[in-house]
Amino acid sequence: MNQETQVFDHIICPFCGCLCDDIRLEVQGNKITKNELGCAISKAKFLSHHEDRISPTIRRNGTHVEVSLYEAIGRAVEILASAKRPLVYGLSSTENDAHREAYKIAETTGGVVDNTSSVCHGPTILGVQESGEAAGSLAEVKHRADTVIYWGSNPQFAHPRHISRYVRVQGEYIKDPKADRKIWVFDIRKTITANMADEFVKIEPGKDLEFIGALRALVRGHPLDFEEVAGVSARQLAEIVEALKATKYGILFFGLGLTQSTGRHRNIDAAIRLVQDLNSFGKWNMMPMRGHFNVAGANKTSTWQTGYPFAVDYARGYPRYQPGEYTSVDVLARGEADAMLNIAADPAAHFPRQAVKHMSTIPVINIDPKRNMTSLIAEVNIPAALAGIECDGAAVRMDGLPLYLKKVIDPPDGVLPDRDVLRMIHDKLKKEVG
Amino acid sequence: MELGKLNQEYIDAVAICEIDKSTFAALGVEEGDPVRIETVLGSVVVRSSLDRRAEPGVAFIPCGPYANVILDSDTLESGMPGYKTMDAKILPAKGESILTTEELLKTMTEGV
Repeated sequence: MNQETQVFDHIICPFCGCLCDDIRLEVQGNKITKNELGCAISKAKFLSHHEDRISPTIRRNGTHVEVSLYEAIGRAVEILASAKRPLVYGLSSTENDAHREAYKIAETTGGVVDNTSSVCHGPTILGVQESGEAAGSLAEVKHRADTVIYWGSNPQFAHPRHISRYVRVQGEYIKDPKADRKIWVFDIRKTITANMADEFVKIEPGKDLEFIGALRALVRGHPLDFEEVAGVSARQLAEIVEALKATKYGILFFGLGLTQSTGRHRNIDAAIRLVQDLNSFGKWNMMPMRGHFNVAGANKTSTWQTGYPFAVDYARGYPRYQPGEYTSVDVLARGEADAMLNIAADPAAHFPRQAVKHMSTIPVINIDPKRNMTSLIAEVNIPAALAGIECDGAAVRMDGLPLYLKKVIDPPDGVLPDRDVLRMIHDKLKKEVG
Repeated sequence: MELGKLNQEYIDAVAICEIDKSTFAALGVEEGDPVRIETVLGSVVVRSSLDRRAEPGVAFIPCGPYANVILDSDTLESGMPGYKTMDAKILPAKGESILTTEELLKTMTEGV
C-alpha cells in the first residue's frame, strides 16, 4: 500500500450547516492523519471516521446477528413490502443523491417521508410559508453586515467557525470587524456566545414572541404602555430599536432557541415580519443556523421531488403535506407507523420518550455509518459510507448554497454509499410490490 | 458526538444539567453530584454542572436522550416537541447513578 502522505486542499467539512470549504487534510494510505483549519468537531469527525462502525445485522431471537449486506437488504425489503404505513426518516447527514432514492421508496410503499428538520427548523419553514423568506448569503454578511444578531443560537458551541469565518473577519466594506460591526445575542441565558458578543439581551423563557411584537411596535413608531416586556425594560427596548433602525446591513441568525420554544413557527413568522419592517430603514436579512450538514439539502430535494419540504405522505399515491400530522414525532407518538426506515440520523437519541417507545415496537431499518442508539433497537442495521469523506455528493449550506462534497478515502470493504444501498432496496422492492 | 454515541464521552457530554451557584446551595449538592430532574412525564438522573453565567430559575440540559426521556411528545400540531420549554423540578440525588445509554433506552422503551 502507498504510505506516502497525500494532501487534499479545499475539502468541505460534512458536520454542520456551515459546510466550511477550506479544510486541508493529510492522508497516509487509507487513513486521515491530519485536519488543518477544521474546528474541534471537524477534527474529531475526520480523524475518527473509521471508529465505531456498524456491520450489517439482523435481529434474531432478540440479538443482533451479523449477516451479509445482501441478506440485510433482503430483510429490509421484506419489512417494507409488508408494511401498511412505513415511515422514512432522517436524510440530514447524507448527500442529495441518497435523498432521491429515499423518496422513491416512500412513493413505492405509500409511506410517509420526513427529514430531521421536523425537529429543528421545521417551524422556520412554516414561518417562511406564512410570511416569505428574507434570505441572503453568508458572503454578504462577511462583506457588508454592520449588525449581526444571534437569536436563540449558540454558534461558539454548535457552529464553532461561524463567527471567525463570517463575522469577526474583515470584509469588502467592513475594514475593522471589531469596530465596524456589532454582535448582538438575544437569548434566555448567557451562553458563551453571549459572553463574547458586544451586546446581550436576556429574554424571559417562552416570551420571544411578545418581545418581537414589542420591537415591531416600536420600529413602526407605536409607543408602548408597559414598563417592561419579557424581562427587558422599556428604556432598553427603545435603545435596541434605535440601534436596529440605524443599521445599514443587518442579519438575524436564529437557532433552535426560537424554533423549539413556546410559539414555535409563530416566533419565526414574527421575526420575518420584524425583518420586513426593518427593511424600511436599512437592508436586513435572516438565516436559520442549520445544524446537520445537509438538512438544508433535505428540504430542497424533498421540495424538488415531492413538492413539499418535509412531512410528506404518499398513502394516497400522490404527495400530501401536513406538518403536525405527517411529521415523524406525531406519526410515531400516535402509534401509526408499522415500520421505519431511518437514514443518517439517530431518532432514538433525539425523539421524545413516547415516540421512541413506539419505535421499539415496530421493525426499524437503520442505515448509518456508525453505532448509535437507533442501531441498538433496529431490526436491521445496514452500514453506509460517510458522505464527504468516503463518498462524494452534493450538500446545501445554511444559506442555500449547494457545494460538492469530495471523496478522500475509500470506505471499509463492502460498505456502500447511502444512495447505492437505498437504490438496491428500491429496485428489489419494486419487483416485490410492483 | 463524533467520537461515538454509545461511549462514556457522549454520556459525559449530554447527561448533565447546568445550573447556577445559588441552586447548588439550595439543593445542598456539590458540583458533579448527581441530581434528579423531574417533569410530569417522569424523572432522570444526570450530573450537575456549574454554569457561572447562569441565573436561578433556568437550567440547561444538552440535546440528547437524557432530556428526551422526560420530554412530552405533544407537538401542538406543529411537528416540533417543546425541546426548549420544559417545566421541571431539580432534586438532589446523592448516591444515585447515571444510566448508560443502553439502560436509558430500556427505560424509555419498557416504560420502567
